[in-house]
Amino acid sequence: MEPTVANIGNNVYFFDFTMILLGVASVVYLVGLYGDKPSISRGGTWICILAAISSFVALGLRWVESYQMGIGRIPVTNLYESLVFFAWAVVLFHLFVERKYHSLVFGAFVIPIAFATMVFAHFKGGGGAITPLNPALQSYWLHAHVITCFIGYAAFAVSAGVAVMYLLKAKQEAEKRTSGVVTLFPAAKQLDELVYKAIIWGFPFLTAGIITGAAWANYAWGTYWSWDPKETWSLIVWLVYAAFLHARVTRGWHGKRAAILSIVGFLSTIMCYLGVNLFLAGLHSYGGG
Amino acid sequence: MVDEKRAQSPIDRAWELLISLKLAITVLILLATASIFGTIIEQNQSIEKYSQVYEDWLVKILNSTGMFDMYHSLWFNGLLVLFTVNLTCCTIDRLPRVLKIVRNPKKIFDEQFEKSLSLAGKWRKKGSVSEWSARYTGALASAFTAPVVTNDGEAVHLYAEKGIISRFGVYITHLSIIIIFLGAIIGNVIGYKGFLGLPIGDAAQFIPVRGGSDLKDVGFKVRCNNFWVEYYRDQFGNPTEQPKEYASDLSILENGREVVRKKIVVNDPLRYKGVWFYQSSYGQDKPSARMLLRRADGSMPPETFHLLFTRGEAFGVPGMGIVRILDFQDNFEGKGQAIQVQIEKPGQQSVTEWLPAADPEADRKRGDAFIVSLQGVEQVTFTGLQVAHDPGVNTVWLGCTLMVIGIMIAFFMSHQRVWVRITPAPEGKVDVAVGGAATRNRLAFENKFEKIQGELKELQS
Repeated sequence: MEPTVANIGNNVYFFDFTMILLGVASVVYLVGLYGDKPSISRGGTWICILAAISSFVALGLRWVESYQMGIGRIPVTNLYESLVFFAWAVVLFHLFVERKYHSLVFGAFVIPIAFATMVFAHFKGGGGAITPLNPALQSYWLHAHVITCFIGYAAFAVSAGVAVMYLLKAKQEAEKRTSGVVTLFPAAKQLDELVYKAIIWGFPFLTAGIITGAAWANYAWGTYWSWDPKETWSLIVWLVYAAFLHARVTRGWHGKRAAILSIVGFLSTIMCYLGVNLFLAGLHSYGGG
Repeated sequence: MVDEKRAQSPIDRAWELLISLKLAITVLILLATASIFGTIIEQNQSIEKYSQVYEDWLVKILNSTGMFDMYHSLWFNGLLVLFTVNLTCCTIDRLPRVLKIVRNPKKIFDEQFEKSLSLAGKWRKKGSVSEWSARYTGALASAFTAPVVTNDGEAVHLYAEKGIISRFGVYITHLSIIIIFLGAIIGNVIGYKGFLGLPIGDAAQFIPVRGGSDLKDVGFKVRCNNFWVEYYRDQFGNPTEQPKEYASDLSILENGREVVRKKIVVNDPLRYKGVWFYQSSYGQDKPSARMLLRRADGSMPPETFHLLFTRGEAFGVPGMGIVRILDFQDNFEGKGQAIQVQIEKPGQQSVTEWLPAADPEADRKRGDAFIVSLQGVEQVTFTGLQVAHDPGVNTVWLGCTLMVIGIMIAFFMSHQRVWVRITPAPEGKVDVAVGGAATRNRLAFENKFEKIQGELKELQS
């Protein structure tokens, strides 16, 4: 159904600008990586900072514009908004990791995820229209639920990106090759550690996201858990990462197996986030535009 | 860490399986996989609907394995039980060891233990053991935390620890899951959930639960005084088709007196005596039968109520029992509108009868103290109320809170320990050895340890 009250504000231009910046940043990071030119990659960092600011401005503007339209609410309520918020969280997470690990190679693996998200939002996110909230979404739980979930998702995205890097690096180290772009990656051991670290950040946020969702459902419908497809998929994601953490902490699963599990975890995250809305019916279908 | 050499009885082997991480991970993955099927196969649909989607043989297999109502199936709940047993056994197995570490910390820093640590250092200082022990105790207290001092012959051992609670993070998390399950079980056993379609002006005391097959007496009446829908307006101020709010004006009646009145909207329920009434849906222009209830001896003023046609479900009428509409005819035996109802009274056989609108005394032949009659069929607006009573929900929230706390403790806190040994050396000197260990985030602790070690080493007499 076409929304009957739909307005597209100026915020969308800033989001489009962010999308272009992230595209450019992805290319710059990749060129910097393949050309072995850290100075070029440094440019990628600055573009990312600009993209983060532009996205921040866009979110703020969207918030203001929603009030001007008389349907004021936090801009995290539909597919478009959740996608751009997710991309923003990925960029921020990436900048943090880059700074903390003093390595400019992560961008080539993480920023394309943010870019792809923005492209998806632009073409499949319902045109960026600001739509009024249906009665079920009018709750303060919405803020806590969406924000915690997406910080979790962003951490898992970073983990999966780094896991891919790990697999490349570990292969190279095993073959004892010393040429090629993979040489520039941080040591496999460090990447392995980062795969884990990103997950231990994401996991509590995902847990909090599921709990706030349950609290909200209880307040709106009187059932905190109803095995709705979205709920069930969030549980699946939670179980996969719980398995990862147990294997890692207790069994000392490192390296390849851990990296693959992290990638599987992120694929289930994508299924939970997008797949459920696109393929399965349920309570969250209105959030899917 | 079970003794490998010990001969294993079947009980030992079963126990070892129950506490194994392999089982834990297997159960986690099995639960995840089963849940995937649960989302692909739509749950709780009619067999006819499944037959349209799947081949007959597949429908048979899926039905007999409980895949159509997976979350209530024996095997899925068996997995949950296995999961809980695994968690509990792991805790029983490991917690005593952790408690031992916590209660009896390793306060003596002997040379053999020193060799097992990757973070360690040694130096020699001029002065006496007691003098340096006092100095290092002070230094450690300011750089890390106050140490326990143990005299062991001529040597002195200092032991300082931080973040001991991190040893319990994982058990807090595991316990939280058990608490959540407990809350869910309490809710399932004692609690109830139902749906009430309440026409404007009507009051109800019995809530159809379990899909209308059962009625629950909540002990008071809930009345719908009014219901309305508000729509968003477009830029010209005209209402659109998009609902902004739907709301009901509800009253709680006890012994015929209004005790509470509240306007409820989605996300803002009414709560009374542990029963929650949620605005969940509404219906408009649905036909319903307007009924009149009287006492056979006329000792009570007549009361009207509605039976909704749409739901075909049970209605609890105080004094009468459970009433269901079975059929409706516009012109029953040439006498006009009539409904066929089934009336069930606790402990009595149910009675099925036709009630024509033209004959208000038709029900009298049933011989009950109450007489019900049909007044007419009308179109009414009713509010859709989800009704829930869940005494386990606070237990669930307690578990959820503990879970977040437990996870944070488990992953972000670390049990950090620092040891110092001061032993006398020739020529009025002392030998100093330091060591450190951390359960998590070792890289960060390494830096911290180097800093502490540096400070201790630089200390002048």
